Amino acid sequence: MLRITVSSSLHRLSLFMASDKPQRLHQIAGTNFQTTTKRARTMTTATLTTTDSAMKEAFSKYAEYLNNLNDKRERVVKASRDITMNSKKVIFQVHRLSKYNKVEVLEKAEKDLAAVTNQYVSRLVKELQGTDFWKLRRAYSPGIQEYVEAATFCSFCKNGTLLKLDEINSTLLPLSDPSLQPLQINILDYLLGLADLTGELMRLAIGRISDGELEFAEKICSFARDIYRELTLVVPHMDDSYDMKTKMDTMLQSVMKIENACFSVHVRGSEYIPLLGSNDPSSFLVGIPDIEL
Amino acid sequence: MQFMKPAFRNGFHCYTVSRSLLFTLNPNPFFASSFRPISRFSSSMATTDDSSAPALSLEKQFGEFRTQLEESGTLRDRIRTVVSEIESTTRLMYASILLVHHSRPTPELFEKAKIQIHVLKEKYELLADILRECPGQYYRYHGDWRSETQSVVSMLTFMHWLETGQLLEHKQAEEKLGLNSLEFSLDVEDYLVGVCFMSNELPRYVVNQVTAGDYDCPRKVLKFLTELHAAFRMLNLRNDFLRKKFDGMKYDLRKVEEVYYDVKIRGLTPNGESVGNQGTEGQS
Repeated sequence: MLRITVSSSLHRLSLFMASDKPQRLHQIAGTNFQTTTKRARTMTTATLTTTDSAMKEAFSKYAEYLNNLNDKRERVVKASRDITMNSKKVIFQVHRLSKYNKVEVLEKAEKDLAAVTNQYVSRLVKELQGTDFWKLRRAYSPGIQEYVEAATFCSFCKNGTLLKLDEINSTLLPLSDPSLQPLQINILDYLLGLADLTGELMRLAIGRISDGELEFAEKICSFARDIYRELTLVVPHMDDSYDMKTKMDTMLQSVMKIENACFSVHVRGSEYIPLLGSNDPSSFLVGIPDIEL
Repeated sequence: MQFMKPAFRNGFHCYTVSRSLLFTLNPNPFFASSFRPISRFSSSMATTDDSSAPALSLEKQFGEFRTQLEESGTLRDRIRTVVSEIESTTRLMYASILLVHHSRPTPELFEKAKIQIHVLKEKYELLADILRECPGQYYRYHGDWRSETQSVVSMLTFMHWLETGQLLEHKQAEEKLGLNSLEFSLDVEDYLVGVCFMSNELPRYVVNQVTAGDYDCPRKVLKFLTELHAAFRMLNLRNDFLRKKFDGMKYDLRKVEEVYYDVKIRGLTPNGESVGNQGTEGQS
């Protein structure tokens, strides 16, 4: 047993060196990478007995494949995380809007979103070629979902309509090299992103009601309802509908929250709405008893 | 408290408004004069009417999604039909290979299993045909044939080892199944998992061969499995299924070592001197 462990640790050492080198070099130059792996392979076989070198030879190929794949997956995950983070910032920016600063806030949000597209989504585009698009979907899906959420949220606040998948995809076209296959967001990620959108819409609607923008809130309400209704028809056909089913439940919750808020205003609030628009909230607040504060 | 009020009001007025709007009915009669029942809402009704055009386009987009998803659903159903045929073929093949546990392996036994390989090859051809309809989406449906393919690989490698004493390489496995097209190939990780499955079969094989009187078998298996285990250690695995399967391989190795030890200690090996290096290592 002792000899086994000694030889195996030796082995591991040589492997470690072998696998470490290509990883580091491979980003600098592709040609370098090739030669190092070859050298590495001869290095590995040199330490071994000749009987099993065929198997080792084959396995060093698999090792190379797995290393490349894992590196790529890691890069994709990182890009996805960056997209998530920065898309969240865009969403927060949109939430900063009020009746008076709508234009500036949305302009800034759109600028930020464009920066996300150019800086981070473009990184994904470079990694995902051919079959990788589906193979690594799990690695990048969260980022893309968040991106879809940010883009649709932004566009709804600006135009009041749903940003379509085709429209998002057409903004991604210029990112990739014309010779390469362009990255196109797939339906599944788009729908998953839309499902998250309702949560943001709910927050926005509550905020707008507090701000007295009831028309806007009503509009959000009917928009969220439409999305929910359309999604109920599509979800059963989705590949991995488990994820989506839980999202549908939260979505219904959000839609109901918006509806309830609209209902409350409708039933009880209509008395003092005109005053809210009058830019003079202090006169109205005088009437509220201290206990309310 | 009085002097606090204005500041409080400015800072929190949003909050109080929302609270009072949502949860309290303001009783102050002052506001009754400005009470305009549902006028706001009637105007907002008008806006929903305005948005009927986007609602239509919304419906259109989702309608398209539905047809596209339905199409991929029918494709998936077709794939599953073929995969279930692959699975039943594999089961037949497995049943005939299991006979190696009953006695020493015979050429007839392999012949029977090899017929199934041809059937499998045809099935994979069918699968490749289906996937040719959606280029680049191999991995979208990969999960549907993944585990079945892993068992196929384990079967093929086991048979190949029984016949030649060598490990069937990835490329050879692809050739056996006719999977050398660019669109449909054998995933390397599936191949490796299949090899791990095959190693699970070896302890049982060793035990039964020794019982059947082949005392040299443990040495051969041990040598092969030690090599295989060492080769697997060359891979940088992630914490995934393959890693788990590989971790299980050491138990197979240990079991085979034990059998070899049992045979050796009782002097049952054909001639003790000719035992290979690997064997001695494993024994101590």
